[in-house]
Amino acid sequence: MTLTRRRLLGTIGAATAATALPGLPALAQERSIRHFWWGNPTRDKNTFAVIEIFQGNHPEITVSGETIGWGDYWTKMATQTAGGNMADVVQMDHGFINEYVSRGALRSMDDLVGDKIDVSHYDEGANAVGTIDGSLYGISIGATSQAIPYNKKVFEAAGVEFDPLSWTTDEFADACAKITESTGGEVTGSEDLSLYIENFEVWVRAAGNEMYTEDGKIGCTPEDVASYWAFWKELRDAGVIEGKDQTVILDKGMAELGIVKGNTAATFRYANQVGAVQALMVDPVGVAMVPQRPGMGYGHFVLPSMFLSITRDVGDLDAAALYINDWINDPESIVALGLDRGIPPSQTGREALAPSLNETETAVVEYFGAIQPKIGPRPTAKPKGAGEVRDAFMRIGTEVVLGNMSPEDAAAQFTGDAEAILFRANR
Amino acid sequence: MHRFLRRNAAGYLFLSPWLIGFFFLALGPILASLYLSFTRYDMVTAPVWDGLGNYQYMFQYDRRFYKALQVTFLFVALSVPLRLAMALGVAMLLDKGLRTIGLYRAIFYLPSLLGASIAIALLWREMFGLNGVVNGVLALFGIEGIGWITSPDTSIYTIVILAMWQFGSPMLIFLAGLRGIPRDLYEAAEIDGTPPWRRFTRITLPMLAPVIFFNLVLQTIEAFKTFTSAFIISNGTGAPADSLLFYTVYLFNEAFKFFRMGYASALAWVLLIIIAAFTALAFATSKYWVHYENERD
Repeated sequence: MTLTRRRLLGTIGAATAATALPGLPALAQERSIRHFWWGNPTRDKNTFAVIEIFQGNHPEITVSGETIGWGDYWTKMATQTAGGNMADVVQMDHGFINEYVSRGALRSMDDLVGDKIDVSHYDEGANAVGTIDGSLYGISIGATSQAIPYNKKVFEAAGVEFDPLSWTTDEFADACAKITESTGGEVTGSEDLSLYIENFEVWVRAAGNEMYTEDGKIGCTPEDVASYWAFWKELRDAGVIEGKDQTVILDKGMAELGIVKGNTAATFRYANQVGAVQALMVDPVGVAMVPQRPGMGYGHFVLPSMFLSITRDVGDLDAAALYINDWINDPESIVALGLDRGIPPSQTGREALAPSLNETETAVVEYFGAIQPKIGPRPTAKPKGAGEVRDAFMRIGTEVVLGNMSPEDAAAQFTGDAEAILFRANR
Repeated sequence: MHRFLRRNAAGYLFLSPWLIGFFFLALGPILASLYLSFTRYDMVTAPVWDGLGNYQYMFQYDRRFYKALQVTFLFVALSVPLRLAMALGVAMLLDKGLRTIGLYRAIFYLPSLLGASIAIALLWREMFGLNGVVNGVLALFGIEGIGWITSPDTSIYTIVILAMWQFGSPMLIFLAGLRGIPRDLYEAAEIDGTPPWRRFTRITLPMLAPVIFFNLVLQTIEAFKTFTSAFIISNGTGAPADSLLFYTVYLFNEAFKFFRMGYASALAWVLLIIIAAFTALAFATSKYWVHYENERD
């Protein structure tokens, strides 16, 4: 046999086709979908439980769940997007959904809603953020708000008395000092939140600004940034918050958090994650609002903690729609999910969940109810490039934490960099 | 043509797996990335021609590009000589004619097999952490440790040490080279009463020069391409404060985190040119210090 160019190309073509074949339904009765989410141990357990329930109700469909931590999730998602092999159903975040919709990676669900996916019971406006340019791309699977989980036992032992729903930054600083002092430095008052842009956003809004303007530019001012980093610097210099070596490790897994390891008494999380923090701890965890600066507003807002989206690469669309519909409507699934992904955005969902809540979860639901009157309007959707701005915030903030830059200089650099990032991402 | 084939067919046949791989798997993507480097490409929508835009941005505005170069050059300058010295040192120890040499060779080669793995990078992160083994040992001597990886002043050295530890493959090549040095040279030197250090500088090093050169070129290229350890130890970001922003880590993030495949392709081509330049430099200087025994002048 002589190997001609044509034959060689033909062979390669055939080989390529053969590898592509498994994508087609090889066995007609076997239907399957893939669901990809970022998780934590609690969430993964709950989600696999929901998958079990779904497969029990629909034995003809197999769901393969894929889970990974937040930090790696977006890298893997981007790679899969590029490779054209996104999962059928993915979990989306309000900071990223715009980016994926604008690149055409998600599929509009307008034609499914009302027919295959029932959202008629949803709260007014619950799907507003997931609706982009008038089309629904992300179905909210839970509402949440910012929160400060704190170690109740440590706070009480140190004699800290405060109102979790109205405490100020001064009271917060006092609490940190008291805790550090009463434990002889064993436990500091709080994690150093310098590098948490999610917590910083509350600070910005309390001052009457927005993180991003409506036309997608940076909205926080250098003063916002400088005052925020200066606030934490003062606590750091006083030694009443966690040390810099822990602070500069970015996007730590939940088990690595100081509050879980017992080094500090408080941290920042979204309210829906408090249950997962508690699951890793023995001491009881309480929920407080982000402390407000005296004379300023609260800055909190309610946001969808995550969305379910159908991707451009969806194979079995009917199965994907059925799966999403069960997620948000099947009472058994709602109970299995618990609160980890947020408060269910419908009265039906909340009622289904109520009897099964544990102590921490009840506290979270109460917290969520109690902060409602103190909550401002929802900010506009984050522009393309917001993920990169977040990285810049952590990177430049690190220089402040390590004492290489003053809060003022770093703030000027951050706002400048953020402007450049947003310009480049949206040109 | 016919004679050429008859003479070389066997050679090309043995080369064919590589050639097929290169032409069908590597060449296409390489040319595609050259094209993409002149475009803006977000991996989902079609690439948009941008001329020299990526390169202009890189050299004119991109501070992180220069930071990445700085980190990578520092790493290459430190890790390559250290790794080669380590490899040569161990190779000379093993060249003493031990009976269990096979065992030792395997043991010393082991880190090179493991070193590039994610598990070792994770282990490294723990070892040099604030409460890690390294600080534990220092504490025994009354020295208070620091967060080696979380401090930008020291983080890169942890990766240099990791690279140094993976001295296996240059060691094996050195070992083969040492075996090739005629014993009678040493015997003659010994009879003349030449001290060991001079035997090393006057016999071992010159005789080994071609092997050193080979290892230098290979290891330099390898060092420029370092990725896994920096990526894992810095949590994929180059943190703290971009002190671990290796060129490849920056490139990876531009491509797969921020959807700038065009820009990342341009970065890749600049890295290729840098590596080519260093290799060319090594070859250009080699005639002054590398002498091949069979090239009598």
